[in-house]
Amino acid sequence: MASGAAIFVILLLFSWAGPFLHTASPYAIHPHLLFQEPSWQHLLGTDDLGRGMLARMMYGGRPSLGVAMIGSVIATLLGLCYGMVAGLSPSLVDKSLMRILDAILALPTLVLMIFFAAIIPLDPISLILLLGLVSWPGLARIVRNEVLAYKGRDYILAAKQYGASTWYLARTHLLRSMFPIVIVNATFTVADLILTLAGLSFLGLGIQPPQPSWGGLLGNGSNLAITGSWWLILFPGIAIFLAIMSMNMIGQGLLNRLEGR
Amino acid sequence: MISRRLAVSLLSLVFLVTIVFFMIHATPGGPAYSILGMHASPQAVAALNRQMGLNQPLSVQYAIWWAHLFEGRLGYSYIQHIAVSRLLGTYTRRTLLLDLCALALAVLSALLVGMVQGYYADRALGKIIGFAQILFYALPVFFIGILLIYIFSIRLNWLPPGGIGHHGGMSQMRHLILPAVTLALPIGAGLSRYFGHQARQEYRLDYVRTARARGFSDLYVAYRHVLRNAVRPFITMVGMMIPALFVGGVLTESVFNYPGLGWLLWRSALDQDYPTLSAITLLIGILTIAGNLAADVLNSILDVRVRYE
Repeated sequence: MASGAAIFVILLLFSWAGPFLHTASPYAIHPHLLFQEPSWQHLLGTDDLGRGMLARMMYGGRPSLGVAMIGSVIATLLGLCYGMVAGLSPSLVDKSLMRILDAILALPTLVLMIFFAAIIPLDPISLILLLGLVSWPGLARIVRNEVLAYKGRDYILAAKQYGASTWYLARTHLLRSMFPIVIVNATFTVADLILTLAGLSFLGLGIQPPQPSWGGLLGNGSNLAITGSWWLILFPGIAIFLAIMSMNMIGQGLLNRLEGR
Repeated sequence: MISRRLAVSLLSLVFLVTIVFFMIHATPGGPAYSILGMHASPQAVAALNRQMGLNQPLSVQYAIWWAHLFEGRLGYSYIQHIAVSRLLGTYTRRTLLLDLCALALAVLSALLVGMVQGYYADRALGKIIGFAQILFYALPVFFIGILLIYIFSIRLNWLPPGGIGHHGGMSQMRHLILPAVTLALPIGAGLSRYFGHQARQEYRLDYVRTARARGFSDLYVAYRHVLRNAVRPFITMVGMMIPALFVGGVLTESVFNYPGLGWLLWRSALDQDYPTLSAITLLIGILTIAGNLAADVLNSILDVRVRYE
């Protein structure tokens, strides 16, 4: 878990603090510097328009990680609300809400995302909303099951006896009890959303050029693979892989601790 | 259990059809503008709206949408100028061919690798295999695809980088190899990890040790005892991987320009060819819902415990 966290922090620093050290513009075109291999002048090489890959990778990390992280927050909040409402509702309402959730979970998420991406405007805000609105159902189910598990505990019953409202129970006791499992799940959601966003941007249906993103850079690199420019493929690919891997390592580490307690 | 599961699948279907209907109607300027272009005259738009029934109330259009769906009328592609329903047959066949090849490859390699991993579980080889499984499971499928294209098509020039080649024969086979391997790698990695774990559990049991002590060869024990007992739970796992196959297929087909359903979905999204896009979203959606249903039903038939839950 520590190594996962370290990798992710390095990626965050690379994306947000990196441009202060390496001040080149990610948009500046240099016609005399096309397809430069990595060297001391251009650490990660240059692309088909002579733009420095190092700068593009740094600026590309911001939407690639940022959109996924904010999207995951939205998904977590939605999942919490839905799960809480279902878990605290009378049995019949809860059952119907769960069947609806089953039905939503059976839909192919990526296909629907591609479908939506063809219709909505593709700016970072819309993408955050898209990712957040599509990826909450998994968490909703976990939250609902947690609510059911805690509902019958003595301390909840005691609080009820003292006249605590349902809203008070949800806000104070339930939320606090399930906080760890929600955080674990949010971590895995970030990893998922980084992958999904990278996939969409790779297909040209996510972050739009000229704004760089790791998925978009990889897509551009794959179109230019025939030129033999391996650095346009390898660096964005590794960045995406490291981001997903580190987030999953953090999630798994947290999960192990949670189950070990 | 099965009737409840069926009801949920029907609900999924209703959600799917409704989402697609409303999103298509939310397209900028409405469908007529997408067909005629953003600079169409109001008269032309009004005429087309009348012709396509788009001037009717939304509820009527929604009913018509369902009726057309049952008749298999999916509209005309803006780009290819042909009825979408006539496009789908060819593309579906290509996708099924690719997906079946990939699934076969994934299952066979998972069985083989899993057996080896179970046997060598505590030695270096088992650990190396375990590391490779995590690696391939975590690598994005589009990244694997490009790496394979770069290595085997561009550097080594062994295999074509994309397309489908001539119909039938060697050319088509050669075009299938890289996409099938790309699609099979993450799925095979997931499956083999699961099966390797099963095989390892099996190898630890007393009856396996007894069989070995009685002098049966390792291969005989592996085939007769370990494989047969470990393979049962593995089958349901394969069923659960089918949705992942469709999803991975969309990206793989796009990377390799392999003209199947996933590729058509991608192209029609980029071209904003809404009739094709909505038809394929519906088709892949229905296939996924049916796949999930089939996997659950199979699961409940194979495992009595699930049925009484």
